[in-house]
Amino acid sequence: MKNNVVNTNSNTTMSRRDFFKKTGAVSAAAAASVIAPSVANASGGGTSADDQAIMHHPKWGQSWGDPVTKNVYGVPSKYEHNNVRRYTKLLASGNYRASIALTPIHESDGIITPNGLFFSRSHGGTAHVDPSEFRLMINGLVEKPIVLTLAQLKRYPRVTRTHFIECPANGGQEWRRPQYNSVQFAKGFMACAEWTGVYIKTILEDLGLKPEAKWMLAEGSDNSEMGRTVPIDKVLDDAMIVWGQNGEALRPEQGYPARLLLPGWEGNLCVKWLKRLEFGDEPWYAKEETSKYTALQPTGKAVQHFYANEVNSTVTTPSPEKPWTDLEDGDMVEIEGLAWSGMGTITRVDLSFDGGNNYEQANIKGLVLPKCWTRWSYMHKYKKGEKLLLTSRAMDDAGFIQPTVDQEVFGGDVTKEYLEAAQKDSSKIDKTKGMGVESVYHRNAVETWEVNEKGEVNHVQVRTI
Amino acid sequence: MFKLEQFNKLTASIVTVVALASFGQAGETPAYNGLWDAKKDISGGVYYPIKNGQTGPYKVNTQVYKDSDVSKGNSGIKGVYNNGRVPTANELKAWDKDIDGKNRGMPDGYGYVDEGEALYENQCKSCHGDFGSGGGGYPALSAGKAKDMKRTLTNNRWFKPTAEGPSRVFGSYWPVASTMFWYIRDAMPHTKSKTLTDDETYSLTAYMLYINGMKVDGEIVTETFKLDKEKFNKIEMPNRHGFIPNIDGKDGLENVRTFFQNPDNYGAIRLAKGEEPCMKNCQETDNILRVDGGITDFNPPMSVARDLPPKKDDGMHKVSFDIKGAYESHCAMCHGTGVAPAAGDKAGWAPFMEKGLSKVYKNGLEGTNMGMPAKGGASISDAEFKKVVDYMLKF
Repeated sequence: MKNNVVNTNSNTTMSRRDFFKKTGAVSAAAAASVIAPSVANASGGGTSADDQAIMHHPKWGQSWGDPVTKNVYGVPSKYEHNNVRRYTKLLASGNYRASIALTPIHESDGIITPNGLFFSRSHGGTAHVDPSEFRLMINGLVEKPIVLTLAQLKRYPRVTRTHFIECPANGGQEWRRPQYNSVQFAKGFMACAEWTGVYIKTILEDLGLKPEAKWMLAEGSDNSEMGRTVPIDKVLDDAMIVWGQNGEALRPEQGYPARLLLPGWEGNLCVKWLKRLEFGDEPWYAKEETSKYTALQPTGKAVQHFYANEVNSTVTTPSPEKPWTDLEDGDMVEIEGLAWSGMGTITRVDLSFDGGNNYEQANIKGLVLPKCWTRWSYMHKYKKGEKLLLTSRAMDDAGFIQPTVDQEVFGGDVTKEYLEAAQKDSSKIDKTKGMGVESVYHRNAVETWEVNEKGEVNHVQVRTI
Repeated sequence: MFKLEQFNKLTASIVTVVALASFGQAGETPAYNGLWDAKKDISGGVYYPIKNGQTGPYKVNTQVYKDSDVSKGNSGIKGVYNNGRVPTANELKAWDKDIDGKNRGMPDGYGYVDEGEALYENQCKSCHGDFGSGGGGYPALSAGKAKDMKRTLTNNRWFKPTAEGPSRVFGSYWPVASTMFWYIRDAMPHTKSKTLTDDETYSLTAYMLYINGMKVDGEIVTETFKLDKEKFNKIEMPNRHGFIPNIDGKDGLENVRTFFQNPDNYGAIRLAKGEEPCMKNCQETDNILRVDGGITDFNPPMSVARDLPPKKDDGMHKVSFDIKGAYESHCAMCHGTGVAPAAGDKAGWAPFMEKGLSKVYKNGLEGTNMGMPAKGGASISDAEFKKVVDYMLKF
């Protein structure tokens, strides 16, 4: 209901008595006459410094709310309608059926993504699997192949783990320069949830894995029959089949009723709508581990079987979506962001105000878990009109650190002189170093957000030359 | 919103705490690569074994898990649960239909290039374009003669986005042909997958070989070429050895493990043990690349406003309002229990109707201090509420 008080005021023929009544009814302010004058005063919108949000009774405070019988499965406030996954045509292959919709990480709090906002990627559309027809077949190099119903699968002892899932193409449109003036599109090919399921190694005790089994094929039951090959090392370590997501069943978009979860590894490897696992002595060469999800290097060779998402981070506030245009000079403001590594646990995040020339150590906060989103924070005193280049840089317990954009493209020992020579004559580029600009996947260079003198925020890349 | 003065006071203390915290860490063993020596997993990341009832920060049930060491083939599982059942031979046959890189699993059958072309024209072209040229966001399947196009794989559009990039299609890029057969049969056509027969899939694969100018057993594939299970093994894939590390054969896994131990192999940077990351004068430059044109086609449009969504009152979103349902869920608890006049109770409503219908509406919409909540507590529009009143006043 939008400011009906103003409409009422415009009715000049209305008596004062009617005015109070109508105001009281429409804005749901109390009929009691003692508070009426202050309502009138506030709604007059004249000289008073009093906040109307305080000076009148809001509608929701003076009338019945919804009965508990409404929304027996809860939905967000209608005012949160802009906190949604978003998609773009560029990332749409085929009528949005082999496509992606991205998580609004600028609106994310903490390290858990609500299930309705978890990024959604499929290769043949979101499948709606009837759980009564769900079967998981496990066969191949095992002593005893088995078929499990969903109930039988859930009978195994369960484990609950909090992990992010990240599409390895997160940031993959920006090898050459920034493309999206948006943190949702630049970094939202990921989300983080608490998953419940079973370690695959637990199930394998029922089957008896043969010693020659080296690889596992995971197949989905969806329209694209999504398949990927997983090395046995991961299967015997922390690979899971999960059915629970943040305390409820997986959403269809996340592979209901069961999906593979390979903590820290490419989202694409975490096959959804799981149907079959097969163990073999050779890798399979499925479509999404040959045609796609292979990272082409400048030598012309492509990294196949690229597993872990490397250490990464981004500032989420401020961002193009969450600018500082409302800040006053001297305001103390929190710079917040996310850090994550599929290769371990975040141990440190540094923040630069000059695009990566000088860094200061930021503060990690909250739970710090392996292969999981980690929150970091830095308190900053805002100076009106200041121009900043905010760059975050994360490290993990394996010792990995995010490269600069140029280091990832041209190699870790890239220098200004080298790049100047390369720009004049690209045959001077040493193709054995760096990932080049054509590899699409596994980009984890630092991200930079420029805060301009108005407090607006733009996505930029700080490059050596 | 805090007031500025409070912030100024806060600032001083926060800065002190931050400074102390950083000094405190500097003197100790740097936590950021504290597990530098830890055992790595196959991907080059830290391996968190199950040890003393715990893996990383998580406790585990020690009735289920004992200490584990994957590198020794010890997954740490206690006990067998014997869930599920053994699949029947027919069930295995129905689902175990994958085809691996060595063509194990290829079905019997055959097909011809020209039959493949006819199928392609009917079922594939609308998405994949003429001769597999792509379009509409769907992948291209050919970019010309495979062997020539393979040479583009070293192309990098380093500084010029308009330069010729690498061609990553079936003929120029894919390492094996079985992937194509497997994917066509199980995932194509995209709108009605798993409808092509094995012979049709052979024909379509043959057509793929043809439009990519590929060779089988030394011979270039022509329009009359017949592809069968035996010839499939002799398809020449120009980029068969274009991938690293080598995942095939008995050393496959070990090759992968070795590959990921060296960060240079995959564009990653690992600090030396105890090495401090660069903190000062790391990248002196004033070259800032901005979004140039870029992509702004965001759907739904970008906004962080917390307001009411725009009303969708077009034909598509018109939902018929359930008058009787609204009465039963919001009104009947009083109007159907004798607390207030019931629907259709002419005598009961008479005293209210004396004041006129508009007064009845008004009382209902706004609520009364006699116990009537506004709109009966329902989240419905005024017009919808009036329909419910009309329903109750049908005598």
